[in-house]
Amino acid sequence: MFPLEAPPDTSAYMIAGYVIFFVIAAIYLISLLVRWRNLNQDMTTLEAIEKDNKRKAEKPSKEQKN
Amino acid sequence: MATRTSTIVHKQSANPSFLKATFAIIWKDVAAEFRSREIFSAMLVFSLLVILIFNFALELDIVTRQSVTAGVLWVTFAFAGTLGLNRSMAVEKDRGCLDGLLLAPVDRAAIYFGKVISNLVFMLIVEAIVLPVYSFLYNVNLFNPGLLLVILLGSIGYIAVGTLLASMAIQARTRDVLLPILLFPVAIPVLIAAVKASEGFLAGSDFSTIYAPLSLLIGYDVIFTAIPYMVFDYVVEE
Amino acid sequence: MQSKPPALKILDISSVLVLAIATYLALIYAPEEAVMGQVQRVFYFHIGTAWTGLLGFLFAAGLGIVYLVKQDIKWDIAGVAAVEISAVFFLITIMLGSIWARPIWNTWWTWDPRLTTAAITELIYIAYFMLREGIEDPDRRARFGAVYTLIGGISAPITFFAIRLFRTIHPVVIGGGDPNAQGTFAMTPHMEVAFFFGLFAFTVIFIDLFWNRIRMGQLAAKVEQLKLNLMH
Repeated sequence: MFPLEAPPDTSAYMIAGYVIFFVIAAIYLISLLVRWRNLNQDMTTLEAIEKDNKRKAEKPSKEQKN
Repeated sequence: MATRTSTIVHKQSANPSFLKATFAIIWKDVAAEFRSREIFSAMLVFSLLVILIFNFALELDIVTRQSVTAGVLWVTFAFAGTLGLNRSMAVEKDRGCLDGLLLAPVDRAAIYFGKVISNLVFMLIVEAIVLPVYSFLYNVNLFNPGLLLVILLGSIGYIAVGTLLASMAIQARTRDVLLPILLFPVAIPVLIAAVKASEGFLAGSDFSTIYAPLSLLIGYDVIFTAIPYMVFDYVVEE
Repeated sequence: MQSKPPALKILDISSVLVLAIATYLALIYAPEEAVMGQVQRVFYFHIGTAWTGLLGFLFAAGLGIVYLVKQDIKWDIAGVAAVEISAVFFLITIMLGSIWARPIWNTWWTWDPRLTTAAITELIYIAYFMLREGIEDPDRRARFGAVYTLIGGISAPITFFAIRLFRTIHPVVIGGGDPNAQGTFAMTPHMEVAFFFGLFAFTVIFIDLFWNRIRMGQLAAKVEQLKLNLMH
């Protein structure tokens, strides 16, 4: 196929390939972690607001829940 | 869940009014379009502009014309088709027609086929005007029964899947930009097959070379009429 | 949110381990290929991500059908997870393939059926996320997502056959012998070990990510529900 005696030196491409693989994998993992953390933060805030609302609703009159 | 089962039951009772409902929808669309002409004129003017732009972009001299005519035509049809599909479904949504149709006691599939056929009619009319204009402008003879068959089959596949995707796209926040993004990657097989088959007919090649793209086109039409027919319920359900 | 189940923790650790082993096998254990040189080592991860990515897309189409039948949001959460991970894997496949192609085919990109289909498939699933992005109602978003994965899952193989109308130069390493292919090679036993372990490793990694992503989807659904409750 290739009229060459020794294999051509293509190690630069190989290194580039594996670097890109690990970079994309790292970016995806970080994005998962960031999204996970944001969701957890939202969750705690929302739960706090909900508790607050419930307390407020219970105190003056039981007019509204949720 | 209740609406789901009721529509399924509805579908199973072989409804004699199915054809009637389909025709009523086609008739409604065609009559409305005949009065306003907004979809049709937009598609037509847009197609002519695309062809003009191609003239400058590709330097359509005698030699290039031979090889790119099929491609130019299908790109034009695809772009004009998206414009028409978007508009025809958006009109339904904005005027509240879709909600009315969904409340009416007709099979949802009748709504789907009605919309497909009226969209197809608009697209075929635009194509019927674009083809002679193209032949006139570029001095290429496009009156080839084979080519006309390919255009019919290609338009059917494109509109069948396009109508389903357009009814999803108009319900999204980003509806104006969404349809081409959803439709083009899925419609690529029909465009490839249509371009290949059109090229073959235009060059007067042997039927054995046209056979493969033509059968692909027919296969695509069958599959992408059947699948939207099955899932259309889920797309319009409230 | 409750802490991770121990089985998932074990799976997390094992996927890191299998990735390390797969990297070792691909980079050191497998011999250098005689014709292509070092760049051939990219192939182990290329195939691993390609296979799991493709299966993931098919799996997502299946989950879409299940969602449409059952109308239970958990199937949609699983579907999104499968599509997202497959899209990342497929992006890796395309980029690694492109890097391999530069020295072997002398070009970064060629409009060959596999490459073109891969690019179009990736675009279909990017469109999938854009579609979901534009819809607020969770049930409608799930229904549209399911319908689109189904349409995309059927269209992608047809695209492949459509582009097959042209010729291919992509090598078929397992069970193929297209004389036009450039860059084909015979695998030595050591290469086979690296190859099959790569497939296994990426399957494990896919399952691990899939599970984690589903947990995230469940949390996101909860947050969305709470937000909707507070607004009313």
